[in-house]
Amino acid sequence: MLEQAVIYTFVALVLIGGILAAFSRQILYVIIGLGISLLGLAGLFLNLGSPFVAAMQVLIYIGGITVAIVFAMMLSIAMSIRPPDPNPQKLGFAIACAVIFFGAVAHLIRGAQFQQIASPASEKAWSVGALGHALLTHYNVVFEALSLVLLLAIIGAILIARRALPKENS
Amino acid sequence: MTLESYLLVGAALFSLGLIGALSHRNLIALLIGIELMMNAASLNLMAFNRFVVTDPTTGQIFVLIIIGLAAAEVAIFLSIILRIYRAYHDIDAEKLTKLSG
Repeated sequence: MLEQAVIYTFVALVLIGGILAAFSRQILYVIIGLGISLLGLAGLFLNLGSPFVAAMQVLIYIGGITVAIVFAMMLSIAMSIRPPDPNPQKLGFAIACAVIFFGAVAHLIRGAQFQQIASPASEKAWSVGALGHALLTHYNVVFEALSLVLLLAIIGAILIARRALPKENS
Repeated sequence: MTLESYLLVGAALFSLGLIGALSHRNLIALLIGIELMMNAASLNLMAFNRFVVTDPTTGQIFVLIIIGLAAAEVAIFLSIILRIYRAYHDIDAEKLTKLSG
């Protein structure tokens, strides 16, 4: 009973944050909506049996990405002070697209027959140790490739965002 | 909650992200819409991981990779936004029409 209430609270957090992020005009409220939604998702991950992924969600998404977005907002302040008038045509088109998408997916989900496993796997298979073992043996290449992508992204971000150097006299 | 209800929550979150990505005029808000869609995808993966897959490490590693790629994507996207702001003093997606035909 209590567990159900907690799960529905997390679902409500996810949806309320998403609505705030989708429909608010002030960029700060959009960022706060993203944060609320990510927090609810971390709770749902916890519920689905993976405390490690939930912790990573909070650490990287809420602690890293959301804060980076706040910094970008502060560095490009002009639109944050005076948000532009919304474009009702665009908003209507977006809502129509989203409703069509949601209807189609909901129809698919209702019609699908999933072969569900009888009971969740053992406690040992869900442990962080098993996760780390798989990451360093079976998924080793993916792990290395991801580190390489992150390194390249850091270098690329620095190169793109730096101020242009003064031209040297040739 | 059953698998179907988790999938419905994921679809609803994806739709909200789609609305955000298509309707906002601020480039940062567009980025946030895309982030919401990626998170809906990872919620789906975690739900399938819990209810359908026999080896539960697979889905968790998928989600960790999504989180890592999202971090890389946000870093690049934000630096591009800063560059655009420095060049045009504006990040309104409807005013950046220099390349449109």
